[in-house]
Amino acid sequence: MNTFYAANLLVYAGIDIIACLALNLQFGVSGIVNFSFIVFQAVGAYTAAVLSIPPDTANGGYQHYIGGYSLTFPIPWLGGAIAGGLLAIPVGFVVLRKLRSDYQAIALLVLSVIANTVITNADKFLGGAAGIASVPPPLSDRIDPNAESYQYLYVGITAVCVVIALFLVNRIVNSPYGRSLRAMRERELAATAIGKNPVELKMTIFIVGGVIAGLSGAILVGFIQVWAPSVWLYPETIILFAAIIVGGRGNNIGAILGALLVPVGFEEVTRFLNNDPAIANLGPPGLIPALQWVAIGLLIIGFLWFRPEGVRPEARRVFEGAPMRED
Amino acid sequence: MPSRFVFAVGAILTLAACGGTTPSGNGLGTGALTVGVIAPFTGADAGLGPAYYAACLPAALSINNNGGVGGRQVSCSKFDTRGEPADAVPAANQMIASTSGLMAVVGCTSDEASTVVPIIDRAKIPMFCMTGQSEFNKTTAKYFHRLVPADVYDAYAMVGSAIYGPGHSPYKRAALVFGNDIGSQAFVQPATNAFTKLGGTIAINLPISLTASSYRTEVKQMLDSHPDVIFTEALGAAGTFLKEVKTQNGGQMIPFLGTSATIDPVWFQQVRDAIGISDFLKYYGGVDLGYTFSGAAYTEFLANLNASASQFADAPKYKQRGSTLHLYDGIIMTALAMVATNSSDPSVYNPKIIDIANGSTGATVVNTYKDGVAAIKAGKSIRFEGAGGQNNFNQWNNSQSGYILVTYDKDGNEVQVGQLTPAQTATIIAAGGS
Amino acid sequence: MDLFVAALGFGLVSMSVIAIAAVGFTMQFGITNMINLAYGEVMISSAYLAYYLNRAGISIWVGMVAGALFGAVFSFLLNRIVYAPFLRKGTSYLGMVIVSLAVSLMIANLLIPIVGYYPRSYQEDPGGLIRLGGIALTRDQVIVIGVAVVLMLAIHALLTYTRLGKAMRATAANPTLARNCGIPTQRVIDAVWLITGALCGLAGVVAALNSDSFAIANGAAFLITILAAAVLGGAGQPYGAMIGAVLIGLITELSAAAWSPQYKEVVAFGILVLVMVLRPQGLLAKRGALAAAG
Repeated sequence: MNTFYAANLLVYAGIDIIACLALNLQFGVSGIVNFSFIVFQAVGAYTAAVLSIPPDTANGGYQHYIGGYSLTFPIPWLGGAIAGGLLAIPVGFVVLRKLRSDYQAIALLVLSVIANTVITNADKFLGGAAGIASVPPPLSDRIDPNAESYQYLYVGITAVCVVIALFLVNRIVNSPYGRSLRAMRERELAATAIGKNPVELKMTIFIVGGVIAGLSGAILVGFIQVWAPSVWLYPETIILFAAIIVGGRGNNIGAILGALLVPVGFEEVTRFLNNDPAIANLGPPGLIPALQWVAIGLLIIGFLWFRPEGVRPEARRVFEGAPMRED
Repeated sequence: MPSRFVFAVGAILTLAACGGTTPSGNGLGTGALTVGVIAPFTGADAGLGPAYYAACLPAALSINNNGGVGGRQVSCSKFDTRGEPADAVPAANQMIASTSGLMAVVGCTSDEASTVVPIIDRAKIPMFCMTGQSEFNKTTAKYFHRLVPADVYDAYAMVGSAIYGPGHSPYKRAALVFGNDIGSQAFVQPATNAFTKLGGTIAINLPISLTASSYRTEVKQMLDSHPDVIFTEALGAAGTFLKEVKTQNGGQMIPFLGTSATIDPVWFQQVRDAIGISDFLKYYGGVDLGYTFSGAAYTEFLANLNASASQFADAPKYKQRGSTLHLYDGIIMTALAMVATNSSDPSVYNPKIIDIANGSTGATVVNTYKDGVAAIKAGKSIRFEGAGGQNNFNQWNNSQSGYILVTYDKDGNEVQVGQLTPAQTATIIAAGGS
Repeated sequence: MDLFVAALGFGLVSMSVIAIAAVGFTMQFGITNMINLAYGEVMISSAYLAYYLNRAGISIWVGMVAGALFGAVFSFLLNRIVYAPFLRKGTSYLGMVIVSLAVSLMIANLLIPIVGYYPRSYQEDPGGLIRLGGIALTRDQVIVIGVAVVLMLAIHALLTYTRLGKAMRATAANPTLARNCGIPTQRVIDAVWLITGALCGLAGVVAALNSDSFAIANGAAFLITILAAAVLGGAGQPYGAMIGAVLIGLITELSAAAWSPQYKEVVAFGILVLVMVLRPQGLLAKRGALAAAG
């Protein structure tokens, strides 16, 4: 274990926690099935990249993208967060009509596939399939990004973002806003009857979730310094949903737990499994990663069956067992 | 210790130090050595990782069977990047953190090179990357080595095949049929520039979606533009597309030229199953780097590749895969560099790799690890010409060699049918304006 | 103009392939009210089964029948073992989508180590071109269209003239009432999964034959296309699925001719999203046939 790998894991954990908090806000608290979640993270990443990188003629002009404003930290990250929030507006309007939940889910899932295909094919817009590379890491003009101290700095910045996100989300979940939302999620008719406007509430939460998701994208792109369509294919959303289901939807501790168990824990453990030659050469190449996906599928089904409320259920049990069939 | 013994040891060392280009490093150390294969083993480009793993195994055998590196045995470890940068970063970091004796890294494809190269360079491990991206044409990463030309040269080679190729008069109208994946994006513009400057016309540029289930309308569009020849790569979709070309053209195939990525057993099988072997052989032209698939180096490679089947059953399939040959050479050269500098410190032996590849004046040419070690022990400076042929690194650690024009035989083996002269190559490059 | 006429002809083939799959899919939805996202993977599994049979020398038409049988059994078991228990538990629509998504992930990843990532082709000579005006199709393509037409007629006959068909329609419209009228709903549901599973398996082999080479990766894109056809026509309505298939098949081929072929599939995806959002009940659904929108 060296500093760089440890820092990598910590930063990724932070990013996944922030992403799960955002998804939990959108799905767990306000009940929107955002199967296009990963696009929000992508929008944040692309925005942060395009704001912080020099124009596309730099570095030998080997790539093509719009923008290129060389702005310094933290503006690109703020830009990424805002972009996530802005994306939530049209997407929200689209699905916050009275649409049954599985239609919502699939419409959004397909939207994320469309977005990925369009960006991949539109070569000059955001780099096409190759994406955008050579994104300058934040504060790289002050500190050498290759130094170990930079890694500590990055972990620190990420931790601060996690705290901010947690604070924001906690305030919302525990506010009267949040209570109205939970009431609305469980018994929408009754909530409307006492004067709550579900659509407005949901939209606000959706936008806040988008902002946090955009931030997670900005943090990720600052760390890996590259962003491409291959990073945000639709199965990434499924992993995050698995995290929420496993961790426990509707509460922040559950989201954090899920983030640590699924995207971080699970994926990194399989990396180590793959290194052991005895296991790695078992069967055809790619067996272990394929089985990893099978395990995620089993995890989802298992938790939905045995413990739909997740590892750490919501504090006040406002529903028992599986979510009730909507009528 | 008796002073006589010390004196004797000191004398021997001094004598040893006096003979020619004797290594002066701090010794080769002990313990196992590892070569990291960092590439996609899952996901859309899952076919790449195994080809590179198949390069490492025979190299390890060749080294281990001839004394290892100062007695140290080499083994190969796989690190799956899943074909995308966000997963490649922890893969690279984990590789560096958890692998003791990491002597070299091979793989790093276009899918992840942009993120992974800085990480490995920072850790000061020599790497041999399989990316044609132009961003590495003038890289400053000292530990980066590229044994394959930039993608743009593949495009030029195809244009060369269209204009100067054997068995046909120069083609006049070309259809470009490429997918939207990372590798293919690089071909369209250079091919267009070069071909049109040299008198041809691009009949149609037809970007296709590589996951579509059929291409009938696209094929009809292409046929309506009346091309003489099709430039294509379209990995995964080529079989479908070409079969439909043949069907809609009334059973008559159109000549088609492929990039060097089409020299691949999988591509061969798909297209052969799609249009049949006789049409395949008659109408296909490919380009590749100048491999001879013969000679001492290749024989050693092939023997060890076949022996690797016990660890990786599919290994022998890659016997003519350019990338496999090159990465094998890279690993052997790294081992020789370690022996030549008598050092296990990458910052010491990394520069020696270039020296061994390019050779200095008066260098002895060697073709196998065994011969290389023997020559080094005899105090000579060496130049390694391996299974992939000669290497010539420029100041940016890019190695170029000339392209040849190729096709397959009925069993899927590569067969050379022609080559581009340096003059022709220069003409095309000038026309392409790179 | 010539290109558009040709595209029309190709559209005929596309719509036939989509129709076979979409009708099965929509009938599953009609009877269970759930969107079975594992449908595409069952199709691909049948396609691979037919591939291995084909490699062993068996004709692809026999492989098609084998695929249909496999699809029937697989789908039936899927329902009995996974979906029905969750449905009985009262899982929400969303929960069922997540379950079927998880199942599809599992099937795909269990297949990958066995069949690999590389595309495969059937050994089948498509036959000579048959021309009709500006349209040119191979013999195999004409057969595929014929198979689709026959199946559509068969489904129509099943639903209109047989007791089972009427029981299926009744159960889809109102399960409780159907049960109270003495219809053995469990048997009807089983029959639906067997029949639609057979359609699914058959569609998989047909789609693979139509596309000349197929791999696991094709499953997801094709599923979305089927979804588009089913939802466009009205989810749960077999005749709607037929109409949806016709429209989607034509529109995708014509858009490839008129616009950019790279976006051919995206056009179908876009139609799906638009329909789901603007008119979720699709073209044919009457209100009350199923709770499509709020």
